[in-house]
Amino acid sequence: MIKIENLVKRYGNLVALDHLNLEIEEGEIFGLLGPNGSGKTTAISCMLALLKYDKGKVTIFGEEMKPDSYKIKQQIGIVLQNVAVFDELTVYENIDYFCGLYVKEKAKRKKLVEEAVQFVGLEEYIKMRPKKLSGGLLRRLNIACGIAHRPRLIIMDEPTVAVDPQSRNRILEGIKELNRQGSTIIYTSHYMEEVEQICTRIAIMDHGRSIASGTKEELKSMIKTGETVTIEAVAIEEAQIREIRQLPHVFDVRYDEQVLTVRCTGAKHNLIRILNYLQENAVSFGRVFSELPTLNDVFLEITGTELRD
Amino acid sequence: MTIFKGYMKITKQNAAIIILYLVVFFGITLMIQSSVKSTMNDSYTAHSVKLAFVDEDGGEMAKGLMQYLEKYHQVTLTENNKEELQENMFYSNIEYIVKIPAGFEEKCLDGDEKLSVTKIPGSYTSFYVDQQINSFLNNMKTYNAAGYTVGEAVKAVNEAKEPSVTMLASNGNAGEAPVYSYYFQYIPYLLLSILCYVLGNILSVFHKPDIQKRMQASAVSARRQNMEALLAASVFGLVLWGISMAGNLILYGKEFLQSKNVPYYIINSLIMLVVALSLAYMVGMITNNTNALNGIVNILSLGMGFLCGVFVPLELLGKGVKTVAQFLPVYWYVKGNDLLAEYGSITGNVRTEILQAFGIQLVFAAAILCIAMVISKRKRLGT
Repeated sequence: MIKIENLVKRYGNLVALDHLNLEIEEGEIFGLLGPNGSGKTTAISCMLALLKYDKGKVTIFGEEMKPDSYKIKQQIGIVLQNVAVFDELTVYENIDYFCGLYVKEKAKRKKLVEEAVQFVGLEEYIKMRPKKLSGGLLRRLNIACGIAHRPRLIIMDEPTVAVDPQSRNRILEGIKELNRQGSTIIYTSHYMEEVEQICTRIAIMDHGRSIASGTKEELKSMIKTGETVTIEAVAIEEAQIREIRQLPHVFDVRYDEQVLTVRCTGAKHNLIRILNYLQENAVSFGRVFSELPTLNDVFLEITGTELRD
Repeated sequence: MTIFKGYMKITKQNAAIIILYLVVFFGITLMIQSSVKSTMNDSYTAHSVKLAFVDEDGGEMAKGLMQYLEKYHQVTLTENNKEELQENMFYSNIEYIVKIPAGFEEKCLDGDEKLSVTKIPGSYTSFYVDQQINSFLNNMKTYNAAGYTVGEAVKAVNEAKEPSVTMLASNGNAGEAPVYSYYFQYIPYLLLSILCYVLGNILSVFHKPDIQKRMQASAVSARRQNMEALLAASVFGLVLWGISMAGNLILYGKEFLQSKNVPYYIINSLIMLVVALSLAYMVGMITNNTNALNGIVNILSLGMGFLCGVFVPLELLGKGVKTVAQFLPVYWYVKGNDLLAEYGSITGNVRTEILQAFGIQLVFAAAILCIAMVISKRKRLGT
């Protein structure tokens, strides 16, 4: 459905996109994950032909995307990172205006606008102006303006920035529902939990490049970490840490502020082995956590830095 | 027509500010016009002065002068009591004192003896009395030189007819600017302030980077977006122009419609509308901050208003100011308007001058539009 080949975009000496390659299939919720400044928004802007790029090609629905590709644009909805609505118009008028850029027929548009209002749950606020809405409601309005015309492809650029958890969950559920209704979704975020929660396939971006892509499982299988064990323990000696590191399947041990973090490869009984060692060596410990690898672990292992800088 | 409707809806949100500017415009126009009218009337109406006349000479010439002044003023013959005269002057019971010293008649007719007068400093009515006294004395000297006796000369001067002046009005306006020309003089202020504020505001809203991104990503072509925006701005501009013309017709309908220059006035104001629209477009490109917009609009409308002869007539402006004003479009509007006011019918060289003023305004509009488009393109590429 979407093919990005060797995309290069430079801002002077800064390379924002460095030979980016991506392929997105119809029906996916495709997550574009990366830290701030990794090139996600630039990639989206190039995809929409809002930015001229230096090299490469973007193909959408089998046709090359250009600034005047209005047939392609007709089937795309965008939800931008910043709320892009008119403060002077009411909630209803805003959705109607942006829907009107795609749907000319008045009766059809009315129906679509009403459905969009219902979809984002803004029925009680349709006569209000954006300035009177809370941050979460504003984000929902922003989404309604982008999806009211029922696009085949929806591009969402960090739509949950600065949104409270309740609104965030509602937005994420809405995105899944849009996908169920038939829209393909490209979702950019630097919140790995969100991407893990909703995306069917993910590409991790860093320094303008896609450093890994696949399903969650595929990405996690790419890395060494199979399990991370975290234990609150007091007074572990340096020699004991060295011994823990020697335990089977353990490849990384850190002890910081009385918290022991042990990373193991994917094997059974890792936790039991570590707890047995602590008991045998009379190390008193408190709470114990065992986590499966996250996308952050994937990012950490591939790039050597945390995803959230 | 989604974009057109969007513009119109946002324009409606600015209804209060539009009405406010209209009220200010009509208020200022009517106020200034009434003050102009009253100043004109005062300036050219003969004024009767309360005048004290002290005659220490007692001659025929002094009596003749008193008779002469009595024709125009309230003259009171009084004693030479300095304190009383000063008191009356202080309380404005009298405005002018003529003191004829003893032997004045001989000295005056023989030589160059000046008359002693006391008057309220800076009073322009006293200036008339000065003129009349000088005129009387000069005439007396002339008659005396021609061999008239003092009695004959006094009689001749007092019986002389007042010269009547016939103004030869070659411009067709009977020497007066038609009152509606003042109305047209203030139109740039109305158009510039409202269009720059309201359209500047709307354009700045539409050119916010995120809104712009959404519009660019939409299925409506950039060309169509521009066309609809242009149509909306033109409709709004024409409605505003229509209101200003309606105001003119309500206030001066009959007089205005009888003028041979109606088409020129209309064309001049329509060209001013084009200039104001192009300026509004540029203002909208420059800023998307309401406070900054307010400042820019005030600088543009008031600045050009004062520099280019909208609020202060061009003939009262200094040469330097006028030189600077020539680089502003409103100057050429006012110049055209002044020519239309001065000449009742437009022919020959005057027509050329007026057409030149129209042309220069259009060149300004085109230049401003080009600058605005360059700014717009740079902004778009910046996103």
